[in-house]
Amino acid sequence: MLEKPNKLRVALISGVVIGAVSGIPGISLINCCCCAGVWLGGLMAMYLYKQQFTEGMPPLESSDALILGLMSGVVGAFVATLTSVLILLIFGPVEAEFVKSIFQSFVERMGESGNVPSDLVDQLKDQLDQSIRDSARISGIFGNLFISLIIYPIFAILGGLLGYAIFRRKTPPQTTPTP
Amino acid sequence: MSNSTKVYSVFLALVAAWCAGIVLAPLLASGEPRVSSLLYSIYAPICHQIDARSMHIEGSKLAVCARCSGIYFSFLISVLLYPLFRRLASPGVPNRWWLSIAILPMAADVFLTITGIHPGSIVTRAFTGICFGAVLPFYLLPPLIEAVTQLQTRRHPRGGLLYARKAQQT
Repeated sequence: MLEKPNKLRVALISGVVIGAVSGIPGISLINCCCCAGVWLGGLMAMYLYKQQFTEGMPPLESSDALILGLMSGVVGAFVATLTSVLILLIFGPVEAEFVKSIFQSFVERMGESGNVPSDLVDQLKDQLDQSIRDSARISGIFGNLFISLIIYPIFAILGGLLGYAIFRRKTPPQTTPTP
Repeated sequence: MSNSTKVYSVFLALVAAWCAGIVLAPLLASGEPRVSSLLYSIYAPICHQIDARSMHIEGSKLAVCARCSGIYFSFLISVLLYPLFRRLASPGVPNRWWLSIAILPMAADVFLTITGIHPGSIVTRAFTGICFGAVLPFYLLPPLIEAVTQLQTRRHPRGGLLYARKAQQT
């Protein structure tokens, strides 16, 4: 019987996706919805892993989903931190200001159209300023890494398990012969 | 206590602790501001924590927004009530259509808000979050219990076999 596919490659790919989604300013706002980026990363890892299974391999198990989610989450936490540090080092405040200007114009447009109240627009601007300031500090970077190393694996495991529940092949119910 | 009950109990305790943190953050805001701000910072990466979009206790916002609160608290209640609806050792999950149906109100609310057709309120956000969170444990708990059992079986093959025999007997 063949062995199961290697998890490391899939975990690295999905971890990089989680890290990129969570580390790039602007895109990382997706995580504001219950860590949706990390969930989806775990889900994607499960989908990619399932695609590698061929005939003759042992079946996909839920423990694979758990391990894969854990690995993806840990890789994702490191990649997210590394991405945000690299962006800060390469672009410095220029990139942050660029993202800020795009975000502000978007929020202001929403405010003008009446979809978002004006006090909410101000709050969003303040929060963006705060997050840009925090990301620039060394303590902020290590603090973010610490929290990410706890939260990302948890949510990636949940995403992986959800992926297992969604993508797994249904086995037909076994019929027991009646005497 | 069976293995599935142990996994379920630990999971329930973790979810309860997570939800307790959400409520404790505003409750400790006046008495223990340091602990409160620490709790807010733990939940900050996973929620925007915008004041106008959050529910409040004693004048302070919860650690997550109304939609996230709906998801987490309905998730907790659903985990709590789970044994009444399904056997813990049962590995099956409901049809994936139920999950799609549960996500639909939340997706519709987000879409209507973004397009400006209907600005959502705290009630709609919380309600759509509740719909999603209440369904999730039925897709997460069976594979989680199964996964932990599989890992334990691999580490302690004899214990795993004993567990399997016990499960078969019951």
